[in-house]
Amino acid sequence: MQKRWRAWFRRADGLPEEMEFHFQALKEERLALGDSEPEAERYARMRLGNASAITETVRETSPRDRLERAARHVRLALRTVGRHKRAYLPATGILALGIGMSVAMFSLVDAVLLRPLPFPDQDSVEVIWKVDPRAGKYVEELAYPELGDLQQRIRDFQSVAVMPTSLYGYSRVLQSGVREPVQIEGTPVSHDFFRVLGVRPVLGRDFTSADEHPGAAPVAILSDRTWRTYLGADPHIAGRMIRLSGVGVTVIGVMAPGVEFPRGAGLWFPLGVDQNVIEHRTATFLQAIGRVQPHVSHARIASEVDRLIRALAVEHPEAYPPAQRAVVTPLVQYWTGSSRPHLWILLGASVLLLAASILSASNLILSHVLACRTEIATRLALGTRRGQLLAQFGAEGAVTAALAVLGGLAFAHAAIRFLVQWAPAGIPRLTAAELNLKSFCFAAGAAALATLACTLVSAWSAMQVDLEAALREGAARTSLSRGGLRTRNLFIAAQTAVTVILLAMAGFFVLSYRAMISSGIGFAHRDALSVNLALHGSGLFGTHSVSAADRRLFYATLLQRLRETPGITSAAAVLVRPLEGAIGWERRYEFEFEGGRDKDRELPKANFEAITPDYFRTVGTPLVEGRDFDAHDTEQSAPVAIISENLARAIRASGHAPVGHRLRMSWHSVDDWLTIVGVCGTAHYRSAAEESRDIFVPTLQSVGTNYLVIRGRQSPSELAAIVRQTLAGLDPEQAVAGIATIGELIDADTARCKFNMILLLWFGVCAAILAATGIYSAISEALAARRREIAIRMALGAPRARLAGDMMLRPLGAVLLGELAGIPATVWLATVASELLYRVTPRDPAVLGAVALFVFGVSLGAGLWPAWCALNGEAAAPLHTA
Amino acid sequence: MTDEARQVDILQGTLSMMILRVLGPGPANGYEIARAIERRSDELLQIEHGSLYPALRRLEARGFIEAEWRVSKTNRQARYYKLTEAGRQQAVVEHSRWCSLAEAITRVMRPA
Repeated sequence: MQKRWRAWFRRADGLPEEMEFHFQALKEERLALGDSEPEAERYARMRLGNASAITETVRETSPRDRLERAARHVRLALRTVGRHKRAYLPATGILALGIGMSVAMFSLVDAVLLRPLPFPDQDSVEVIWKVDPRAGKYVEELAYPELGDLQQRIRDFQSVAVMPTSLYGYSRVLQSGVREPVQIEGTPVSHDFFRVLGVRPVLGRDFTSADEHPGAAPVAILSDRTWRTYLGADPHIAGRMIRLSGVGVTVIGVMAPGVEFPRGAGLWFPLGVDQNVIEHRTATFLQAIGRVQPHVSHARIASEVDRLIRALAVEHPEAYPPAQRAVVTPLVQYWTGSSRPHLWILLGASVLLLAASILSASNLILSHVLACRTEIATRLALGTRRGQLLAQFGAEGAVTAALAVLGGLAFAHAAIRFLVQWAPAGIPRLTAAELNLKSFCFAAGAAALATLACTLVSAWSAMQVDLEAALREGAARTSLSRGGLRTRNLFIAAQTAVTVILLAMAGFFVLSYRAMISSGIGFAHRDALSVNLALHGSGLFGTHSVSAADRRLFYATLLQRLRETPGITSAAAVLVRPLEGAIGWERRYEFEFEGGRDKDRELPKANFEAITPDYFRTVGTPLVEGRDFDAHDTEQSAPVAIISENLARAIRASGHAPVGHRLRMSWHSVDDWLTIVGVCGTAHYRSAAEESRDIFVPTLQSVGTNYLVIRGRQSPSELAAIVRQTLAGLDPEQAVAGIATIGELIDADTARCKFNMILLLWFGVCAAILAATGIYSAISEALAARRREIAIRMALGAPRARLAGDMMLRPLGAVLLGELAGIPATVWLATVASELLYRVTPRDPAVLGAVALFVFGVSLGAGLWPAWCALNGEAAAPLHTA
Repeated sequence: MTDEARQVDILQGTLSMMILRVLGPGPANGYEIARAIERRSDELLQIEHGSLYPALRRLEARGFIEAEWRVSKTNRQARYYKLTEAGRQQAVVEHSRWCSLAEAITRVMRPA
């Protein structure tokens, strides 16, 4: 078989030797008959025929020869590309940039959005919660009995588990006895948790239902990071006892690296529900995750769960709102929720840049091909076949594309490493990004096809020239045909539109970011330090509980000691510190105030925080009216609240003075009114991008606190040391976590916006450069084509400015057209992405106007430069050569 | 395509058939094939020996014949061709096709 393939592919192999034998045989035949040597050779040559012609005939029919011909084209193309560096080198560079950039961005999107979790078959894991449509987006949590409902009544689930919706307050302090105690994020889960996720411990065993029984021995599973960082990667850890928050807990397993679900969990322990919670459908604090059976669609499982949730509302009217509905979200979507729009925007931008680079490269190649028209005409006149000419231009396009693909590969590789290092922390799985070959092939394929198509189409249109006319003009270039001009102007317009979109989007993000960091986010004291101090055994399911009274006393003593420390100007505590980020479901609490009760049936919502006195002074939120809480606001005194200015405005609008007015939280009983004693500045408590409506209550009259805030003359690290020292003096078994200044929290929260802004600016600048190149080549080409005409007009005394204007009229018209198309597209895009913008409207005239002007200015500059050079150069030269 | 090329094609077609026929008894090199054709036609067909080679290579590529280098009777390296099974069948097919064609042409050309 191999032999035959060889015979098929390499037909001419050994042919000269074979013919030489034949020649010798014929010669010997004649010699034997008595011919002289020269006579014999002449005879042999005559009988055999022209050996080289025969070899050529054989070779031409061989497939190898076809390849060789293709290789010749490529070699020729390489030489041509080398000779026309001015046209091909920028085209190659531009294409490489576009391919590299878009592939780099796609690889990030792929890592974060398309395979964001370290779990197998992640699309079949769903997160289940509920919503009460009457209350808008208000999220209802699940109660423990609903786990049983989901497990027993829905057959399409393989396994279901629950975990709390709130992801803070379940940390544990690990005491090794050797080193300082550390606080580790933990999550209580029901025993099927890891079976739902589809992962198993790499060491030891998974949870079983026995671990969950009340009174079972306390056990925990550690994350790989916890195991390595704090337990020295002990291979015999399974079965050993560690001290967590003062309690001996048996480690039963260690998870694989990367499994830190949810929210960077470092350890998991059984939910260990008590009898009260098992039975009560109103004890809602959970969310469920479920793995569906293979081949069950999302829509089907969603409708099944919804039917169950509605049925439960009928079966248990005392426990559930009658209109409750199920909300079933794929885990992937839940996990990457907030990174999603940002990444899509960047992906869109990179695709636009790819498009811009293809347009620009096509434009340059078009110029080159049109410049070659005389050559084409000459060769056609000399009898070169059109197919052969097309093949040559095709090869040139292919070489450009191939070089661009190689360059793009290198660029993408470097860009990914750079972007991953440089990206803000907190985008899950970003570090898993690597050069994505699939996307690379896509981008490279798109660019290569576009280049090839453009080359061939331009070459084809160039061949439609009137041969005679083209030749008659001799060395002078003919000006562009009407069709060529139209194509060129279309390219310019499209490119301008893309540039406007990218630059304007970048502008929107710059303004958003500036507004975010400059407009009072509401926390003036960037140097104030905050630390997480979730007292061990806190939370509903602690293996060892600290009573509310203990907690208050502890915090009061700690704060007192801190305040007494020299240099400390203020110290306070808060339930969840500002800008802490996602801590599970974003619960907004409903409330009503006296004045608004009758007018507004729908309860407004607000962020609810428990604080100690001095909180406002520490973080730098101004108190604009009334007073701060003080030592007199205790459990015994009248319940009070401080509200943010935007809420106060609503009360004023109803005709009441805010201070002294009363409001009531939705869970309070009918007569449980809080009296407003103060109004503080409006802050962006949850996210820097969003103004929040805040209600503050004294911790003594409400829930406990989890975070310390402290400010002083010392540096943040000294402040942290003071906190640790003071804490150790009170209780050496406590540990702090999450040490950060308010400034750092703000930076972390705005990091993504900043990252977006810088990337988009980068995209925008690249696009502007590409657009400028396009205009530059267009004007250069027009000038080159009309050199003679210009020279004559100048010799006749035409003013230079007028000539320059003539040259630039059409390209600049195309630029204006592109802007007219780009601006509505930008407005539309920005409207779609408006949730990412802050204090900027998608129609912001300043941004749109500035971008339009800038792009026009750049185009004008890019066009004026060659025009001016040409007009001031040796204007008469073309006349001599003509 | 020019008329000349068409003539070559026709010649090549018959040439292939004749090569297959000549190779029937056993392997032969290019020179021997050419001489065999001439001998069998009683020297009526005087072919250009070189034109054998494109035909030989084409037959080889199509798998009708196989080639190997061997030492010739004159003690030189020569390329010897032999029929494959497919070639043997092809020889039969082409022979019968030729016979019907020759017969048809003969009928056309016989005196009216």
